[in-house]
Amino acid sequence: MQGFSGGGDGATAELAHLQSTMSAIEAACTSIQMHLNPAAAEATILSLSRSPQPYKACQFILENSQVANARFQAAGAIRDAAIREWAFLTAEDRRSLVSFCLGFAMQHAGSPEGYVLAKVSSVAAQLLKRGWHDFSTAEKETFFHQIKQASLGIHGVHVQFIGINFLESLVSEFSPSTSSAMGLPREFHEQCRRSLELDYLKVFYCWTRDAALSVANKITESDSAVDEVKVCTAALRLILQILNWEFQCNSNGKKGVNVFSSGIRQDAGLSNRSECILVQPGPGWRDILISSRDIVWLLNLYTALRQKFSHEGFSIDCPIAVSARKLIMQYCSLTGTIFPSDNGQLQEHHLLQLLSGIIHWIDPPDLVSKQIECGKSESEMLDGCRALLAMATVTSPTMFNQLLKSIRPFGTFTLLSTLMCEVIKVLMTKAPDEETWSWEARDILLDTWTALLMPLDSAGGIVLLPPEGVDAAATLFTFIVESELKAASASAFNDDVDSDYLHTSISAMDERLSSYALIARAAIDVAIPLLTRHCTERFTRLHQGGGSLDPTETLEEVYSLLLITGHVLADEGEGETPLVPTAIQRHIADSVVPDKNPVVILCSSIVRFAEQSLNPESRSSFFSPRLMEAIIWFLARWSQTYLMSPEGSQDSSYSSKADNMHQVQSISSGQTVLRYFSEYDHGKTVLDIIVRVAIATFMSYPGEKFLQGLTCYQLLHALVRQKNICIHLVTLESWSKLAIAFANEKMLFMLNASHQKSLAQTLVLSASGFRDSESANQYVRILMGHMTAYLVEISSKNDLKRVAEQPDTILSVTCLLERLRGAASASEPRMQKSIYQMGSSILNSTLILLEVYKHESAVIYLLLKFVVEWVEGQISYLEAQETTVVIDYCMRLLQLYSSHNIGKISLSLSSSLLNDAKSEKYKDLRALLQLLASLCSKDLVDFSSDSLEAHGTSISQVVFYGLHIVTPLISLELLKYPKLCRDYFSLLSHMLEVYPEMVGQLNNEAFSHILETLQFGLHHQDSEVVNMCLRALRALASYHYKETASGKMGLGSHASSLRNPKGELQEGIFSRFLRTTLQLLLFEDYSPDLVGAAADALFPLILCEQGLYQKLGNELIERQANQTFKSRLTNALQSLTSSNQLSCTLDRMNYQRFRKNLTNFLIEVRGFLRIV
Amino acid sequence: MSDEEHHFESKADAGASKTYPQQAGTIRKNGYIVIKGRPCKVVEVSTSKTGKHGHAKCHFVAIDIFNGKKLEDIVPSSHNCDVPHVNRTDYQLIDISEDGFVSLLTENGNTKDDLRLPTDDNLLSQIKDGFSDGKDLVVSVMSSMGEEQICALKDIGPK
Repeated sequence: MQGFSGGGDGATAELAHLQSTMSAIEAACTSIQMHLNPAAAEATILSLSRSPQPYKACQFILENSQVANARFQAAGAIRDAAIREWAFLTAEDRRSLVSFCLGFAMQHAGSPEGYVLAKVSSVAAQLLKRGWHDFSTAEKETFFHQIKQASLGIHGVHVQFIGINFLESLVSEFSPSTSSAMGLPREFHEQCRRSLELDYLKVFYCWTRDAALSVANKITESDSAVDEVKVCTAALRLILQILNWEFQCNSNGKKGVNVFSSGIRQDAGLSNRSECILVQPGPGWRDILISSRDIVWLLNLYTALRQKFSHEGFSIDCPIAVSARKLIMQYCSLTGTIFPSDNGQLQEHHLLQLLSGIIHWIDPPDLVSKQIECGKSESEMLDGCRALLAMATVTSPTMFNQLLKSIRPFGTFTLLSTLMCEVIKVLMTKAPDEETWSWEARDILLDTWTALLMPLDSAGGIVLLPPEGVDAAATLFTFIVESELKAASASAFNDDVDSDYLHTSISAMDERLSSYALIARAAIDVAIPLLTRHCTERFTRLHQGGGSLDPTETLEEVYSLLLITGHVLADEGEGETPLVPTAIQRHIADSVVPDKNPVVILCSSIVRFAEQSLNPESRSSFFSPRLMEAIIWFLARWSQTYLMSPEGSQDSSYSSKADNMHQVQSISSGQTVLRYFSEYDHGKTVLDIIVRVAIATFMSYPGEKFLQGLTCYQLLHALVRQKNICIHLVTLESWSKLAIAFANEKMLFMLNASHQKSLAQTLVLSASGFRDSESANQYVRILMGHMTAYLVEISSKNDLKRVAEQPDTILSVTCLLERLRGAASASEPRMQKSIYQMGSSILNSTLILLEVYKHESAVIYLLLKFVVEWVEGQISYLEAQETTVVIDYCMRLLQLYSSHNIGKISLSLSSSLLNDAKSEKYKDLRALLQLLASLCSKDLVDFSSDSLEAHGTSISQVVFYGLHIVTPLISLELLKYPKLCRDYFSLLSHMLEVYPEMVGQLNNEAFSHILETLQFGLHHQDSEVVNMCLRALRALASYHYKETASGKMGLGSHASSLRNPKGELQEGIFSRFLRTTLQLLLFEDYSPDLVGAAADALFPLILCEQGLYQKLGNELIERQANQTFKSRLTNALQSLTSSNQLSCTLDRMNYQRFRKNLTNFLIEVRGFLRIV
Repeated sequence: MSDEEHHFESKADAGASKTYPQQAGTIRKNGYIVIKGRPCKVVEVSTSKTGKHGHAKCHFVAIDIFNGKKLEDIVPSSHNCDVPHVNRTDYQLIDISEDGFVSLLTENGNTKDDLRLPTDDNLLSQIKDGFSDGKDLVVSVMSSMGEEQICALKDIGPK
């Protein structure tokens, strides 16, 4: 090996050199530890790993230094240098580096500084991987023979440990998710992975198992911790790691998934459950994993360990016990083709073996939990639960239940249910926000139920539980409800709950309730009557109390009952219409007569209870805001599934069929319920009740923002989203009462402003329930007529200037604008006419208000938002005449806004108020950009009957003019807001791409501002923004090139170099951008995704400025001192513009060719250009 | 000189209500509110309940619009709060006098000379620098509950 090649003639001189390097590194390491000048010390250490061929020095340090840290750093330096220089090293050098590292670790196996040895063996593993394709099979065999000898314990326990340790590093290096970077393509890592999986993984497994077997006896026989424990722990850990491997090659040679295209593992659905990874090694592993007696051995080992827990040196949480348990759990997750297709017999046998070992950890549950409460560690019990989860994931419910039957008189479901009851019992004694073991155990067990009831492969299908499973679910659900009720009444008076904490726990609670619902649905026959009983009991209690008793505890109980019932009865829609849950759909008992159907009974009793909130007396005595929240939430969730569902209304001849007993028999429970609540039966009455309850939350609960928010966003939105409900809504007297109240009632002006917006939107949307567009428009006109008239009245007051700033006027104007905005956002073709009229009747008023409220940024923002949403909703429908009106208006608005704000500086003592002012400005500008963007869309989507051009309006002209007004307001400072920045650049690049011809007509000032922002955008962090700028550049340059080629002006004076008034030469824009783009591509950091876009911009730029391009290329070449690099660069530049038959026309083919050329060019030269 | 008229106007202002009642639940972030007798701008609103089944309360964090101090208040959301009448008027800046007063041109051609410059150095220099550069400056004067202060500055540029 070369070492420091200029090492002089004498061996002594070299030795001295090595000595001095060593002491330098040692000093650096010590000073880092002492925190003396760490930067300099780091530089010294880095210089070692960056120096060419530092191997000799590193080996010298490893062998001679007394400072462990220095040895550690030397090992790291070997790694860094060898990975970097691998291509230059001779085969002999490579081999000797690996064998040096291996040999070093083995020789010093007994050394107390374990971390140095671990580092050295991991370096060996990395180098072995780096040379995986370079080493011959014989060479690899030599290495592995050495490892095998070591790991079998021929050279003693310490070397054995090192051997296992090396294998561990090797396996983790070869696994793509844990491998370290080597500057090689992903394909290399993938090839290594496959090679190891096919040829070595099984062998490693056997060695490790043999290693563990060889030491196990020693451990079971001795009473205290011995060195063998360390080896055994390491071996168990390695086996675990091997089982964690992402197996992809099945034995039939077919690759499981294409790792390059699918970034997500198949079992991604599992990720949100507790850590449970499926192990699917394929049939090749059957004889090793299943048929061998490994599992029995492992279980025996753990049983032996358990008996030692009382002794010194062993405990439930000692590393070997933890590793053993983890491994046992891993065996539980074995699944897939490793088991033959024998109806799961082998798998059942395998799991039974495991379960008989695990059962002692969790059974009998009451004893186990008592022990834990008395101070025993809970980890064994939790691992037992996790093992159950793993088994539940890989088996069917029937097999899962069967497992325990052969060793206990009951099935696994019964155990699961008892265990969970026990856990919940303990949990109830703890404070609700305390993270305890019982909390964790409950979550794992809930996941187990979910895994059983909602297996991943059966998407939404039905899972049939064995009868014992149903009973267990029933017992468990009864217990859950009881304990939830107990918890509710106990917490009724805790009002110190931190509201932040409450909000974060809501989603966790939601998940928990969904799991409860799954359990309840598994035992639906018991669950529904149980819930009905509990509800009725509480409702009666509230009535009997009649105000004399404090109802708080009962209220809290009803609150949680409603939440549980809502989850059991209906799923969350998440934007879709949820179906009736399968369990309820299927459930047959008592379903013949609707009045006796348990689901109907439960739903009706809750609806009746909600109806009582309309009675002022009972409202004041027990319908607290919190209870109403639960009611509204329940009604919203419930009505999406059950109320006037299209399925229930399909069959209008339902009543006649009811006479026919045979027919009725075949009607499922779900259909009975749907029909009961359909438009032909009780649907309309219930809908009426719901609307009246909603009105009550607005009128009788002043200031209850959260409650009213629920009503607006969840309940009413859900109602108007369904067309069949809308049809009935608009005929209801209560709905028109709501509409009238909305227009006139003072109470509704007191709602939170954004709720008013939502309410306006809802009311307008419901107009889609009208049969013809005439009445829909009429309805909207009447509804919004008051608002527009009121706004016009305010804006035409003589003393507007004086009253405008009074808080009550501001409040009214805000509310009106919010309402108009809500209505505008509900634009639908059917109501389009009336919404256009609504907007156009107040155009002048809004301009007056814009003037009057120029200092009141909150009002201005609302006003702009209204205009944005109105224009966005209307623009594509407008006829040419109307479009002209709207465009004129928008331009006046822009000018007015700009004249108020340009050059304005806010002054305030408070920095947070100043920041507010800045972000308000940002929001305004964003709205204006959105306005321009929606005007833009008129050119793309236009439903009007006549063309705009005929009326002499050009959208592009208008938008450019608008940009011209807006851009001066957008400072580079403001572009730091990411959303504004994206909006701005996407509008700009759109405009430049679609209408490059307009740019030439801009005046100098506007043009240079646009260029300045483009320049800024090219260096933005957000690659999306850079991409948009590049697209804009491409558009400009290619436009100019094509125009000039056909003898026209192109961008004319903007493109050519000019002398500015001071006499300095100013480059044309394309020269400037050619420089910038080249600079960016060659010398700066950017995302590789941008290369394509950059190529598209660079190509026309080069064509526009060929002279400059030649000059820049020559400069680049001149700058290279190194001859090799010089010629490489020359060739690369040459082929950039000439290879692949690139020609000078801007067509698709040429763009593609240039993209290819540029990629090759960058691969060829960017590396040395950036370094040298 | 219509000094009298000017006085009359300001008297009329003082006679008008300085604050208005408004339901606490309707006051939003960025709105105004009176806390401890000071006009403030709301920077944060959160709601909580008095007891689990009680009524909602609003918790306001607000900043005094004149001195920048932070104030907080909790009000049941159905109760009324005082909202200050905040008035802003634009004047052209004519002169800055040595003793820390500004001279402003009112809409009807009179001058207003009773307004002090802000004491904070930073704000002061922003006004003074602009003025000494010879720009045409318009200042916005914010007044509420009997106090006045310059709150914004705008360069109207050469016409």
